[in-house]
Amino acid sequence: MVRVTEPVIEVDGLARTFRSRKGLIRRSSKEIEAVRGVSFAVERGELFGLLGPNGAGKTTTIKMLITLLLPTGGRARVLGHDVVAQAHAVRRKVGYVFGGDRGLYERLSGLDNLRYFAELYGVPARESKQRVGELLELVGLAGREKERVEGYSRGMRQRLHIARGLLHRPEVLFLDEPSIGIDPVGARELRATVRNLVETGTTVLLTTHYMFEADELCDRIAVIARGRIVALDTPSELKQKVTTGTVLEIDVFGVPDGVVEKVRAEPDVLSVSVDVQGQAEVLTVHARPGTDVTQAVMGHLDGSRFGRVITRQPTLEDAYIELVNAA
Amino acid sequence: MRTLRLVGVAWWLQLKMRSRSAFDGLLSLLYPGFFATTIFMMFKQGDAAGPALLSAAVGSSAMGIWSAVSTTAAFALQMERRQGTLELLVLAPQPFALLLVPLTLSMATIGAYSMIATLLWGRLAFGIHLTIADPLGFLVAVVVTVFAIGMLGMLIAISSIRYRFAWALGSAIEMPVWLICGFLVAVSDLPAWVRPLSAVLSPTWGVAAMRAAANGQSPWADLGWCVLTAASYGLVAMFVSRWMVHSARAHATLALS
Amino acid sequence: MNSLRIFFIGGLTSYRALFHWLSPWILVPTFLLTPLFQIFLFVYIGRTAGISDDRFFLIGNAVVNAAVPCLFAMGNTIGGERNTGTLPLLIASPAKRVPLFLGRALPVIVNGFLVAVFALITGSLLLRVDIPPATWGGIAVAIAACSISCTGLGLLGAAVALRVRETAVMSNIVLGILIVFAGVNVPVGAMPGWMQVVAGWLPMTHGIRATHDLAAGAALTDVAGTLLAELGLGALYAGLGLALLRWFEYESRARATLDTA
Repeated sequence: MVRVTEPVIEVDGLARTFRSRKGLIRRSSKEIEAVRGVSFAVERGELFGLLGPNGAGKTTTIKMLITLLLPTGGRARVLGHDVVAQAHAVRRKVGYVFGGDRGLYERLSGLDNLRYFAELYGVPARESKQRVGELLELVGLAGREKERVEGYSRGMRQRLHIARGLLHRPEVLFLDEPSIGIDPVGARELRATVRNLVETGTTVLLTTHYMFEADELCDRIAVIARGRIVALDTPSELKQKVTTGTVLEIDVFGVPDGVVEKVRAEPDVLSVSVDVQGQAEVLTVHARPGTDVTQAVMGHLDGSRFGRVITRQPTLEDAYIELVNAA
Repeated sequence: MRTLRLVGVAWWLQLKMRSRSAFDGLLSLLYPGFFATTIFMMFKQGDAAGPALLSAAVGSSAMGIWSAVSTTAAFALQMERRQGTLELLVLAPQPFALLLVPLTLSMATIGAYSMIATLLWGRLAFGIHLTIADPLGFLVAVVVTVFAIGMLGMLIAISSIRYRFAWALGSAIEMPVWLICGFLVAVSDLPAWVRPLSAVLSPTWGVAAMRAAANGQSPWADLGWCVLTAASYGLVAMFVSRWMVHSARAHATLALS
Repeated sequence: MNSLRIFFIGGLTSYRALFHWLSPWILVPTFLLTPLFQIFLFVYIGRTAGISDDRFFLIGNAVVNAAVPCLFAMGNTIGGERNTGTLPLLIASPAKRVPLFLGRALPVIVNGFLVAVFALITGSLLLRVDIPPATWGGIAVAIAACSISCTGLGLLGAAVALRVRETAVMSNIVLGILIVFAGVNVPVGAMPGWMQVVAGWLPMTHGIRATHDLAAGAALTDVAGTLLAELGLGALYAGLGLALLRWFEYESRARATLDTA
């Protein structure tokens, strides 16, 4: 028996710079470093998550891996094939599904969409019909396949997308923010589908900015911010990293100018963030382990009106926010 | 065999999609009709009759095939880009140029519908009776011309992957090709410097073949040239598309975002 | 004052935002090359059909191209708002409707005028058709009248676009109708009676006829009546457009049919 030791996805110092041009006569060009050298490896059968805020470089990374974009630095191999030199070999074996309602032919039925892409992705003629039927069953669209896609709900479109991405039985599936704009029930079904795929041996690379989605699904998570990987570990290890120290949350009605800076300057404060929630602003303060910063923070808020004040243990989301803010 | 099946299935589904669109379906059918009407009126005003009128009828009805392709070919990929399917086409493990053949072929097919509509219109409104000497030759000539114009459309479509404004250029070459390829004006009446250009454009040979078949001459030599030029577009497209897709990957112009 | 601002600034901004044809990659082929190609096409077809009157085809096809920006840019003012999702904001705005839409018309009129003038000048040079300098002023007035009246029709198109989604299809069909009926390639006098009646109610018909007369040496005063008819038609269509807009707007609020998606 031969053991496959080579990772399915190997990324080494991958980088991508975009150049945008403006103006016609006096051309000024601006360089944006979307991905600044990321490295990671994904093993066969793994469900690997890229977690990060919008604009962190998740989609750009995926697009380089599936050969839609050329890297401007570094190397990447998928199933042993170089994404630049052996793009064709990569394309044959990977599937790509992205979130949102684009990427389908609105004027065709769901069935016709699948038939079309089955031809394009080289599904053998005699298998095609059976495969399409199987997938419609898998994503729960059987019975609705003859309707035009323009009448589909977002969730239905997303499921059709997944069926499309699986037509040619890809060994690696890239899911780029698949749950965007889907209601909670749909998102839960989607997670179940993804888990099934991994159980049947598909390697999955998923990007998301939903914390719980990454937490629930992924074997390992790379947190990406501003084009760099700031942490890479299993969800529980990531949580471990920050479960020391406490989090103070205060609802303030109108945070006075300069308070955030003053709080941040406190010696025992690790980080501060402000979030608007309804009429109130939520001031979240991460304190150094073993310290209590409540009094000090309240002192700075003297004269402001505030509501709820709580102290709690950090969650994975806090870990994530801390990692991203530190980047 | 696989390739044929791919082109066939994709052509049928693209045709289905296009005929459900007001712009691609309805307008491609109607718009050439306005030009044909004006041209029929001009020929009537100039007291044209017999072979001259027949020639005008053949030419103006075939205008629609090119019209449907030129105005939509460059726009089609813009549409694919807008609906997010362009990336999926590029990702497919097939030569990109091959995927565009059914796309532009479906446009040319809609153009062929407009050809039939225009011929009927000429008969009903202007009393132009089309007597075709060699119906089989004519039919073959129409099919080959549809194919050849589809191939030319593919070249335009490919150029639009990199250049987002190619659709404007696509619309702009609608009328020059009608003129240069002798749809209505004999190529020999055009300035000498234009003629080499006519010779390398496949529609020139396709329309000449249709006309020959209608007049009872042999269309086969013209058809040979038509197929040859169209096939050479396919070859050029293969190379250009490889370079274009590579360039699009480098410059990130495949997606909208 | 505020109305004036909406008229000028709002109009120009929306023109640039909605009708993003201001790139040279679109401008040159659409507004400079296509009209010329159209002129050449019909001059040559005319010669083949036995009507060798280059000046007739030059004038008709040059002037009718003023309709392209007038119909498309104007018709797109509503369709474009819908595509960008700003239509409800526009409808909900307290801005006065008449300056709002007429303001959008002004840059469009200028655009149409320039397209036709360029095509006429370049075409006459390339085809060596003589248009005496003494007639230029009058012809410019006639072309301006055509641009104004076509924009009036475009405004009607914009109103219809509140209900009809495919504005580009509609504008193309209107353009096709103008090419057939407005005396562009076949003199209106040579058409069957019913077509002449239709032609009389279309913008462009009167303006093109006036341009022919002016180029042939008529004085501006001789064609004043024809040009007034052209402008009158433009005003009629613009008025219909504004009325229809008001009615659709009222209707869509009453019955929640405003198609904003």
